[in-house]
Amino acid sequence: MRRTPSYADARTLAIGAALVALGAVLGLVESAIVPPLPVPGVRLGLANLAVVLALAWLGPRRALEVSALRVLLVALAAGTLGGPGFAMALSGALAAWAAMAALARTVPGVSPLGWSVAGAASHVLAQLVVASVLSGSVAPLLLSPLSLALALLCGLAVGYSARLLLSRPPLALWARSGMGWKDGWLRDSSHAPALPVTPCSQGVPTRSRTPRS
Amino acid sequence: MTRADRIVVAIVAALALAAWPLAALAGASGRADIAVVTGPKGVTELRLDAPGRYAVEGLRGTVELVVEDGTVRAAESSCPDKLCVGQGRMHTPGSAIVCVPNSVTVRIGGGGDAPDAVVR
Repeated sequence: MRRTPSYADARTLAIGAALVALGAVLGLVESAIVPPLPVPGVRLGLANLAVVLALAWLGPRRALEVSALRVLLVALAAGTLGGPGFAMALSGALAAWAAMAALARTVPGVSPLGWSVAGAASHVLAQLVVASVLSGSVAPLLLSPLSLALALLCGLAVGYSARLLLSRPPLALWARSGMGWKDGWLRDSSHAPALPVTPCSQGVPTRSRTPRS
Repeated sequence: MTRADRIVVAIVAALALAAWPLAALAGASGRADIAVVTGPKGVTELRLDAPGRYAVEGLRGTVELVVEDGTVRAAESSCPDKLCVGQGRMHTPGSAIVCVPNSVTVRIGGGGDAPDAVVR
């Protein structure tokens, strides 16, 4: 049964907030471990995991909020707010969200795996363009082939992680049918069998299955 | 992976492959013995056949460039991640060193731009 979520839906808010927290923590962990790659701005993109999940569970609008908020939180915590690194991160995040939301809306066959790859690619491209503009040199753009190739790999890795999480929601609470943004795609997709609501052994209360109005 | 996913992956892979010759073309026109250094204070050119050590003023400190054996590398930088140092020696036209936190870039292969006062 389809339930239209209202904007102030408590559950949506809670999941959105949890995803912001997840994205911020993953982003911080990432900013602490710099991969030994000779390209600025290339990270695993783990934080994009939270945005992919938000897009799947909550829709494009919430995904944008999650993405923008986690970038802001990471910048605040890492002390990079206002620097060129922040401009790159924000533009990358916005470009990634735009690409993923556009794909999710317009191309029905693309799964979160495809979103993630497209998001990673637009993320690095936007970053390199902004770096070029900021530094007034085409030098950053000369790195784009390597960056794109790495983005493809990282996008695939994050996409597969997202798929795992989407097919096995971490809390029984989240596993309710109709959870997906496009109602029921979690149940329809081949990798995710129908999800019964099972009581969580850790004592997480399961919600009543009687639908509210 | 759905069929549409494969198409997305193929498009990104094609972009990466297409960017390779484009980036090479963009840089190949320049000379291999000149590095264009762009910093927040301006642009200048370094001759790679004259060994030396140069300090480039960046946004949050300096980037030290070392020219030796016809190559240039960032030997030291005041940035947190030191990605520019990790980029190593550069000598082919079109290759580049980028330090984002300092907003300093070094690109091999210069045109004929008038030097500005950045390098001390």
